[in-house]
Amino acid sequence: MAKIVLKNVKKQYGKKDAAAMEDVSLVVGEGEFLVLLGPSGCGKTTLLRILAGLEDPTAGEIWFDDRLVNEEPPDLRSVGMVFQNYALYPHMTVFENMAFGLRARGVPKQVIKQTVHDMVALLGLEGVTDHRPKQLSGGQRQRVALGRALVRDPELFLMDEPLSNLDANLREQMRMELARIHGQLKVTTVYVTHDQSEALTLADRIVVMNGGHVKQVGTPGEIYTSPADTFVAGFVGSPGMNLWKLEWEETEDGISLGDGALLLPRSFLPVLATLPRTVIVGIRPEHLELSFGKTDVKVVCRAEFFENLGSHTQLHAGLVTSGADYVNTDSPRLVARLDSDAFIDAGERVTLTAPASAINLFDAETGIRVQTDGASYFDQTDRWALT
Amino acid sequence: MTITTAGTSHEGRTVYTASGEYTGKTSVKSRRRSILPVRFHRLRDRLIAYGLMLPATSVFVMFFYVPAAYMLYISFFHWGVLSSATNFVGLANFRTLLNQPLFLHSLLTSLYYTLVMIPATVLLSLGIALLLKEAITRRKRGAGIWRGAVFLPHVTPVLATSIIWVWIFNPQFGLANFVLTHLGLPALGWLESVHWALPAVIIDSLWHSLGLYVIIFLAGLSTVPRDLLEVARLDGAKKYYTFRRIIWPLISPTTFFVTLLATINSWQAFSQIYAMTGGPHGGAGGPAYATTTDALLVYQTAFVYEHFSLAAAMSVVLFGIIMTLTLIQKWISDRIVFYR
Repeated sequence: MAKIVLKNVKKQYGKKDAAAMEDVSLVVGEGEFLVLLGPSGCGKTTLLRILAGLEDPTAGEIWFDDRLVNEEPPDLRSVGMVFQNYALYPHMTVFENMAFGLRARGVPKQVIKQTVHDMVALLGLEGVTDHRPKQLSGGQRQRVALGRALVRDPELFLMDEPLSNLDANLREQMRMELARIHGQLKVTTVYVTHDQSEALTLADRIVVMNGGHVKQVGTPGEIYTSPADTFVAGFVGSPGMNLWKLEWEETEDGISLGDGALLLPRSFLPVLATLPRTVIVGIRPEHLELSFGKTDVKVVCRAEFFENLGSHTQLHAGLVTSGADYVNTDSPRLVARLDSDAFIDAGERVTLTAPASAINLFDAETGIRVQTDGASYFDQTDRWALT
Repeated sequence: MTITTAGTSHEGRTVYTASGEYTGKTSVKSRRRSILPVRFHRLRDRLIAYGLMLPATSVFVMFFYVPAAYMLYISFFHWGVLSSATNFVGLANFRTLLNQPLFLHSLLTSLYYTLVMIPATVLLSLGIALLLKEAITRRKRGAGIWRGAVFLPHVTPVLATSIIWVWIFNPQFGLANFVLTHLGLPALGWLESVHWALPAVIIDSLWHSLGLYVIIFLAGLSTVPRDLLEVARLDGAKKYYTFRRIIWPLISPTTFFVTLLATINSWQAFSQIYAMTGGPHGGAGGPAYATTTDALLVYQTAFVYEHFSLAAAMSVVLFGIIMTLTLIQKWISDRIVFYR
């Protein structure tokens, strides 16, 4: 188990190309399960490959405990990696696949046999050790790939979207399996995914990346409840956070945004006073509800369509921003997750409510989160510092 | 009822069937199809398929199967160019062959040629392909030029390259002896030596044919997924270990194909031997029949000595040998070649 430290790591493939990844500084604690989350092309796989030693960083330092590994080839780094398509040797049996790394390193036969046997038992692969990958199901192949990477007892375990080739049911099952295996082995793990449910359920901490930059590092709870900027707010959560760019003004009833489309209590005045007239307001869909009682926040919208998803319903609507009673294609979109027994007709005017604590404010120009005391999120947080 | 696609003015250009189901086909076609019986369409499809195959098939039949069948036929006759094959002699031509030391000698020469050519072809072409692949993967400058350079001899006519090699192997003024003597080694007689004539021909053949096999191996190597090689690196496998345990098994179908092709081409080697050993060096196949392979002997028997039926019998034997070797290779490949 190793503690991994990355300092200002950059990767640029060609001199004229844009950097695939820039200024990435991270600490992965010993035994931690860190998830790199982001859309395609955000640089997360590049970062993983740099950790594995399959790519050289253009700049920056990578430390495994007190070892600077920038120049170390992959085989000396003690890294196990699971690829998206498993990358099992097709001409070898399950046993041979798992034993390959040990044989390549000249481990005695008896030790190989015992180690692979233990891993097979851990992964529940008894009975298929003499099968070739072609004869295995998707889930079994996944387990073999895990076993092959883990059997060498690596200091760092890397996984590149390992569940993306599995069907939904199996993915959920394997997710639990991964959590169990990590709990048992406590290997420092870096896991790449674009699936936020995997990230939120598996991670000790999540690193959200976009455009080659780290956008936020935090626990799943922090990422979800206090997104660092509008990208994280929109990307994490399914559906993502409602984000509305609105102008605010003080009225008799409180603070009106978008000509009365959104009403906030006066307690927000000190924060808003530090900001320009236009701000971005964010509310998670599940924090909006149909309620007729007295509440802090009111949202006026017109229903467009309504989905019943069994456990809950989902309202898609347009914010009534102009003060007039209609919405058009330019109106800010709204998604609300409502109770399963709710029903709203398309075209109906609806007033939704939310608790004041559900309100997130972002700077309209930079998209960066503004804390309720008015400070920028980046000014007051030190949680990314190398520890 | 047919529903016209929005914005399309063509008559009958629709994407729905009469029942309103989406098909993605134009209704003109579906309406026509519904009128004619299914059997007609099947027949028409077959006729089109056979029609498309006809040009290639007829050329193949005319220049391969018919001559091959006729060759088998005349091997049982006493046959001359100007006489018809009426004089049936049974297996006499084959008996004559068995009593001809030159024929047996030519078979051994071909065997020697083949046994050297196959491993040399596989080792050299695979080696060059691996180097080229490495250069291409690492985006080394000039990798494309090297690939072209390796392939170039193969697209040059064999007669032209053979003439160059005749100069190189000239015992007095040739480059080969120049290099050998500068390395402190004795000069060789090459094409004028009974011992070195065939190796000289083999060197020319290798040089000429390698390009094709290198390209085939390059194609084979490109089918080995990069992920597997990366996993092997992470697993701690060194280059040779990765080659032996991952690359070699995964390219075994390519290796088998190259071996098969090299075997067939070796047993049929003719042009380079004819070009290199004919002319000022005396009759082709010399000196002292040292380079008389069976393909050359077939040619000489038929067109120099005009024993066509005997040459036909030789060809039948040659066909039998190549067929047997191919079947043996196939049998072996079924056991050791790994197909993904």
